[in-house]
Amino acid sequence: MSRSVIPAPIAQLPWRVIIPLVGLTTFGAAVLYSAAAGSMSPFAGSHLLRFAIFMTMALVMTRIPRDLVHWAAYPAYVGVLLLLMAVEALGAIGGGSQRWLNLGPIVLQPSELMKPTIVLVLASFYNSLPPGEVGSWRSIVPAGVLIGLPMALVLLQPDLGTALAIGFGGVVIIFLAGLPMRWFVGGGLLAAVVAPLAYFFALHDYQRRRVTTFLDPESDPLGAGYHITQSKIAIGSGGIFGKGFGNGSQSHLNYLPEPHTDFVFATMAEEWGLAGGLAVLLVFGVILRWGWSVARRAPDRFSSLLAAGMTSTIFFYVAINLMMVMGLAPVVGIPLPFMSHGGSSMMTNMICIGTLMMVDRWSRQGKNSLS
Amino acid sequence: MNALTISTAITTGRVELVNTRQRSLFTARFRVLWVVALFALIAIVALMRIAYIGVVQPGPAHTSMAEALLPPRGEITDRNGVPLARAFPAYALWFNPTALGDGGAPLVKTPAEVAAQLVQIFPDMDAKWLARRLASGKAGYLRRRVLPEEANRVQAIGELALEVPREADRHYPQGTMAAHVLGYVGADGHGRVGMEAVLDKQLLDPAQRGKPAMLSIDSRVQGALEDELRRGMLAVDAVGAAGLVLDVDTGEVMALASLPEFDPNKIDVAGEKNMFNRVTNQVYELGSTFKPLTMAAAIDAGVVTDLSRRYQSARPLEMGGFRIRDSHVMGPTLNVPEALIHSSNIVTAQVADELGGKALQRYMTDLGMHERPYIELPARGFPIWHKGDWPRLRTMTVSYGHGIAVTPLHLASAYATMVNGGIWRPATLYKVEPGHAAKGRRVFKASTSARMNQLMRMIAVYGTGKSADAPGFRVGGKTGSAEKPGVGGYRRSSLVSTFAAAFPMDRPRYVVIAMLDEPKGTAASSYQRTAAWNAAPIVGRLVPRIGPLLGVMPDENHDIDLTDLAPLVGGKKE
Repeated sequence: MSRSVIPAPIAQLPWRVIIPLVGLTTFGAAVLYSAAAGSMSPFAGSHLLRFAIFMTMALVMTRIPRDLVHWAAYPAYVGVLLLLMAVEALGAIGGGSQRWLNLGPIVLQPSELMKPTIVLVLASFYNSLPPGEVGSWRSIVPAGVLIGLPMALVLLQPDLGTALAIGFGGVVIIFLAGLPMRWFVGGGLLAAVVAPLAYFFALHDYQRRRVTTFLDPESDPLGAGYHITQSKIAIGSGGIFGKGFGNGSQSHLNYLPEPHTDFVFATMAEEWGLAGGLAVLLVFGVILRWGWSVARRAPDRFSSLLAAGMTSTIFFYVAINLMMVMGLAPVVGIPLPFMSHGGSSMMTNMICIGTLMMVDRWSRQGKNSLS
Repeated sequence: MNALTISTAITTGRVELVNTRQRSLFTARFRVLWVVALFALIAIVALMRIAYIGVVQPGPAHTSMAEALLPPRGEITDRNGVPLARAFPAYALWFNPTALGDGGAPLVKTPAEVAAQLVQIFPDMDAKWLARRLASGKAGYLRRRVLPEEANRVQAIGELALEVPREADRHYPQGTMAAHVLGYVGADGHGRVGMEAVLDKQLLDPAQRGKPAMLSIDSRVQGALEDELRRGMLAVDAVGAAGLVLDVDTGEVMALASLPEFDPNKIDVAGEKNMFNRVTNQVYELGSTFKPLTMAAAIDAGVVTDLSRRYQSARPLEMGGFRIRDSHVMGPTLNVPEALIHSSNIVTAQVADELGGKALQRYMTDLGMHERPYIELPARGFPIWHKGDWPRLRTMTVSYGHGIAVTPLHLASAYATMVNGGIWRPATLYKVEPGHAAKGRRVFKASTSARMNQLMRMIAVYGTGKSADAPGFRVGGKTGSAEKPGVGGYRRSSLVSTFAAAFPMDRPRYVVIAMLDEPKGTAASSYQRTAAWNAAPIVGRLVPRIGPLLGVMPDENHDIDLTDLAPLVGGKKE
C-alpha cells in the first residue's frame, strides 16, 4: 500500500463506505432533480452541497482521538439537553410549538443532534459500568433517565418520530450492553400494555388518525390515508423498471405529498421501478454491513457500543422511512438518509457516519500500535 | 499459608472476573446477532413488500386521454348511422352528510331552509319530504337528474353536503322508437331487454366503444311501421300490435315494432309492463297465414302438380269428432289458387292430408318453426309445437295455422324463404354488409318459390288481401284471423289478425308482417274483425311509405306475370 502512487492518508480513508455513500447521495440528487421538474434548484443543488459540507465534517471528525470523545460524552449530552430545553422555552414564550433554534446563519434542530448524542452517552455509561453490575438496577435506572429526559422533551415539541428514534438508539445500546434478556421481554410486554393506553390518552388526534390510517389506509383515501395510498400508487405504478427518469406523474403532478423529503423513495420508485428500489436497498445494506463490521472490529467496549448504536440509528431512519412509504408503518415524519432533501437529517446521518469512520480509525490505530 | 490464602483469594477473584468477562463477551456477541437478525428480518420484509407493490399489486387503472374522450358507453345507430342510443352526460343531486368532514351537523343552515331553497330550484319537489330527508342525515340521491343550470344554482346554495355528481346517462334521441329493439340501460350501467343487453360488453369495452354499433334497423322504416301500426291498432281498439319488415335476401330486420311501447328514456311501472316483445317473444296461432306455406310444401313435394285440380269445399271435414269448416261456403269445389284467395280451411286441410304429416312436419321444421326464432334479442318465444309424429288431424289444423303457435318473426322468416327463391336464413339485427349474408338452407325449390310469388300476388289482387294492394308496389300477401285460445276452447270474440306480405312480387325484396291482437269491430273496419279489414290496410298504407325508402319504386307497368293462373280464378282481372 505504501508503495502505491496514492498517498497513504488518502488510501487509508474508508473507501468502502465513501463510494456507496457518494453513489447513493448522487442518485438521491438525481431523484430530487426530477422532483423539481428537472432543475438543480431548489433541491438537488443544496442536497449535494450539504453532502459535501457534512462529508468534510465527517472526515474531520475521523481525526478526533478516542479519549477526547470519551471525555466529551457527558458534557455533549448535557449541552444538547440544554438546547432542547431552550427550544421548549422559546416555544413557550413565542407561543406554539417549535423545533428549531435559529442561530444566525444556521437553523439548528437539537432533537436531531440528540440521536447520536444519546448513543454516545449510553456507550460511555455502559463502558464505565463494571461487568458485574450488568444485572443490577444500577445498569438500567441511569440509562432510563438518560433516554427518558430527551424523549420527554422531544415528545413535548411534539415530534413522535424523533422521540422514537432516540428511544430506539438507546434501547439498542442497552440491549447490546448485555442486560438480562428477561428485562427486554418484560419491557416488550409492558409496551404491549402501554401502547393501547398511550394511543387513547397520550397521542394527539392527528397522530391517532395516522395510526388508524396505517392500519387501513383505504378507509379514508382522500383524507388521512392520502399519503400512504398515493405513495403505494407511485411505487406500484413504477413496475419493474419504472416510468423512466423525469416521467413520474405522481410526483410531478403533485399527487404524492412531500415528494422530495419523506416520500422521496416513492418518487424514486415510480421513475426507476423495482430495480431502482432494490438498488437503493442494496446500497443501504452495504453501508449498514460496513457499520456492523466496524462495531465488531472495534478495539474496546465503548467504541464497539458507539459504532453499533450509530449503525442502528441510521438503520432506524431507513427502516421506518421505507416501511412508512410502503404502508407498513404509520406516517411519522422520518426522512430517508442521504436521499431525502433536508439539512438536519443529513447532519445527523453524517455524524453517525463520521463516528463510524472515527471508530474504524481507532481500531486500525490500535492494531498499528500493537504490531 | 497466609500468602497462599491471599493468593488463592486473588486467583478465585480473577477466575470469577475472567468468567464474567467471558460470559459478557459471549452475551455481547449474541446480542449483536440478535440485532443483526432483526435488521435482516426488516430488510427482508421491506424487500418482499416492495416486490409485492411493484409486481403483484395491480397498478391504478390507467385511463389514457384518448380513452377519457370516448363516450362512457358506445353509441347505437341504425343502418344509416342515425343515432338511436347515445351517451349523455348528466348531473344528479346527491346528499352527502359527511361532506363537511367535522363530524357535526351535515348542513350549515337548517334542513328546512335548505329544503326551501331547493324547492325554489325544483318546484316539483316536496319541501317537507326534502326537509325530513336532509334532517335524517342519510346519504343518498335527492334527485336523479339535474340540468347543468340547476346544478349551478344548487352549488350556489353553498351547502357542501349537496353534491351534484356527474353521471353518464343514456339518451334515446328518437324517444320510444324501436324501444323493444334497443332496450334500455339500468341504474347499474348495464343494458336490459334489447340490444343494449346483447351488446353490453362491446358498448362498455374501451377498445370498441369508440365506434358505434350499427343495427340493421332503418329508423325511417321503423318510424313508418310504428306509425301505421299504431294508427291501425287505435282504429280498431286492439290491445296490442306487432309488426316487422324483413329483408328476404339477407335476413336483416329493417324494422321491428311491438305496441304498446315503452319509453327507454323513462322507465316506470307502466313501461315495464310493455317491455314484452310481441314480435319475438309471444307465440300466436297465426291462422290462415300458414296456408301459403302448406301449399308451397305441397307444390314443392309434388303433391299438387295441377293447380286447376278441384277439391270439394261444400262440406265440413269430419275428423275424429272435430269439424273443419270454412267461414262461409265458397262453392262446391275450389282449386288451389281459389282456396288461397278465399282462404278455405277445407281445401287446405285436404291438400295437407294428401301431403302427409311427415312431409308437412319436415317442411315446417326446415322453416324453423320447431325452435326459438333466430335473432339476437334475448327474449325469444318457444313455439307450441307438437313433438313426435303428427296425427292426421294435427296435420290438417297446422295446414291452416292452428295447433301450432309461433312468433310473428317465425312467420316472417318462413315467408321470406317462400318468396326469395326458397332459401331460409336466420333473421338478424346487425347490419349485413353486401355479399356477407348468411348462407342459409334451401327449403323450397326455386320453381316452387316462383309459383308461390304468383299465388301470393293473386291473393292481393283477387282475394282477401285487396286492401293491402298498394298501387304500383306489387304487394302479395295472405290474411290470417285466428281465434285466440281461452278457457274451454277458442274464443270467437277475440282474434289475432295478421297480414303477412311481401313486395314487390315480381322480384320480392321485403316481407312485411302486421299483426293486431284482439281487434274490435269498429266503424274504421266496417265493424269487421278479420285481417282483411284491419291488418291488410295497415300494410296497404305502410308499403307506399317505406317502398321508396328501401329502393322499391312504384311502377304501374311492372308486375309479376299472372296470365297462366288468372283463368283458374275466373280471370276477374282483364
